Amino acid sequence: MATQVPPRPAAPGAVPAGTHRSQDDPNVLLQDDYDFYEPIPPYPPRTEREAEFYTLGDGEMFLNMGPQHPSTHGVLRVVLKLDGERVVDIDPVLGYLHRGVEKLIENADYHQTISQVDPLEYISSLFCEWAPVTAYERLLDVEVPRRAEYIRVLSAELNRIASHALFLGWFALDLGGLTPILWSFIERDEIVEMLAALTGQRMLFNYFRIGGVNGDLNHEFMSRLGDWMSRAVAQIEAGTGLLNENEIFVRRAAGLGVIDQQSALRYCMTGPNLRATGVPFDLRRMHPYSIYPELDFEIPTRTEGDSLARYLLRMEEIKQSIRIIDQCLEQMPDGPIMAKLPRLIRPRPGRAWSGIEGPRGVYGAYAISDGSDQPFRLKIHDPSFIHLQAVGALLPGNLLADTMAIMASLDPVMGGVDK
Amino acid sequence: MDRALARRLEARFEGVLHGHARQRHDQTEVRIGAGDLVEVLRALHDEPELKFEMLADLAGVDTGTEMQVVYHLWSATTTDWLRVIAEGLSRDDPRAPSVTFLWAGAEWMEREAYDMFGITFEGNRDLRRIYMPPDYTSFPLRKDFYLPDDAARSPGAGVRHVERTKSPTDAAPGVLRQTRA
Repeated sequence: MATQVPPRPAAPGAVPAGTHRSQDDPNVLLQDDYDFYEPIPPYPPRTEREAEFYTLGDGEMFLNMGPQHPSTHGVLRVVLKLDGERVVDIDPVLGYLHRGVEKLIENADYHQTISQVDPLEYISSLFCEWAPVTAYERLLDVEVPRRAEYIRVLSAELNRIASHALFLGWFALDLGGLTPILWSFIERDEIVEMLAALTGQRMLFNYFRIGGVNGDLNHEFMSRLGDWMSRAVAQIEAGTGLLNENEIFVRRAAGLGVIDQQSALRYCMTGPNLRATGVPFDLRRMHPYSIYPELDFEIPTRTEGDSLARYLLRMEEIKQSIRIIDQCLEQMPDGPIMAKLPRLIRPRPGRAWSGIEGPRGVYGAYAISDGSDQPFRLKIHDPSFIHLQAVGALLPGNLLADTMAIMASLDPVMGGVDK
Repeated sequence: MDRALARRLEARFEGVLHGHARQRHDQTEVRIGAGDLVEVLRALHDEPELKFEMLADLAGVDTGTEMQVVYHLWSATTTDWLRVIAEGLSRDDPRAPSVTFLWAGAEWMEREAYDMFGITFEGNRDLRRIYMPPDYTSFPLRKDFYLPDDAARSPGAGVRHVERTKSPTDAAPGVLRQTRA
């Protein structure tokens, strides 16, 4: 015999004037303006858009996803408005990982800020460091030694491969395939161990310094790198072969979450997500920095603008990154790895911006100096934040089961979104 | 540094720019009032010889005396980043027009600037807090919002008596003996 759940007892006592009890939970008092059910959200709408979203049409329902959903790639809550199994509209709720990094940076000195920006996008930390470090160097008018630039590009491209390899695994996992993530973790672990030998940390490297890098190339890093490079291409092709030749995967991902060129530009999208729509925008070529003008590589683009195109494009980029690493090793000059700078730096008052092409798009940093030893303001621009916003434009009309697949194909990292 | 861009901008927006266009490294900076923002950004976005189609960043800034909104734009027509600073917003009631009619992606960036600085973007149809909870009332990145003092001086510091003192010999009598026993 099934046990019956007794109804919750009504809270005793009189109800204050102007309120009545909710039917869902008698302990909740509702203002008389509301119906007998608790409204979602439990406060009056603050904007036009919020009022529109939280008004249900005929046959529609809300479904709350997250914040602890395993495939939201971090802590993200998404309120979905559904009509049957079709998504009508979404309202992402952010802030679960917000730690106020920009305020912390305003209260730390210039060198300390580098470790603060590391955990933003914990999958591609070197790019998070690169943007503010370059902005500080422009404030200081300091020239970075060539060997340091080569080491930066070498380590950052390795980081890009690690990030794209992880994307491959997560994307397949969100489409229901378990094997690729096990394979891509092999790849990623080799690179991460390599970078640990170079920087001393597995994920939050804290490696770039204002005017150079923290340590020179060492024997362990070079031997691990040489070992990996000899079989990298074959290993990556084995991993992508699992998916590229899998009919279920290809037919599922093709035509999913299509965005056209003009919309992508209107949504401020950058990186592989923009290049998958046919815009050849890559800062390494379109606005060259560091030593990229001296290197020979291509900017792959595709024109479909769907999830499959975004996936295939990232796999192309891995091959280009291997080309860049080859050239870095070949052309690596001798010399110092740090510019001569005092321990305590006080840039003269001014403003500087730097944009870095990362695995997810443009990482930006806008630094303002007031002449003291702490940044007056550092605005961090994160591509994940921008791309998560575009999910709202991509999802409507798709099936609920495709929600995570489309979100994963844009590759947002919540640490960067929430700052 | 693209000198021609500075000259082009100064000629096109004569009387609108505050002062000259400033250039340093690969960046060109122009300052305008918030009232001219819509007109200037629309011209920068639409006109074929400017064509700044990409909004790279939107940042709020509190200088301590006034509020600013800073836009970073990219175009294929120049080798420079363009920085447009809308300056002179009052700290009591900062207001600026929204640019979501040009870039839909500016919506969340404006929400972030509202959340952190309290800048009201007129025309943004979803201007609510994005990181902080809905019942939060202050704007954390303003310069008059102080962080709590360092941990040593905070009321919660020093759970044990010995930790509150500078050296063990300064500890209250009895405390030291107890810890040694």
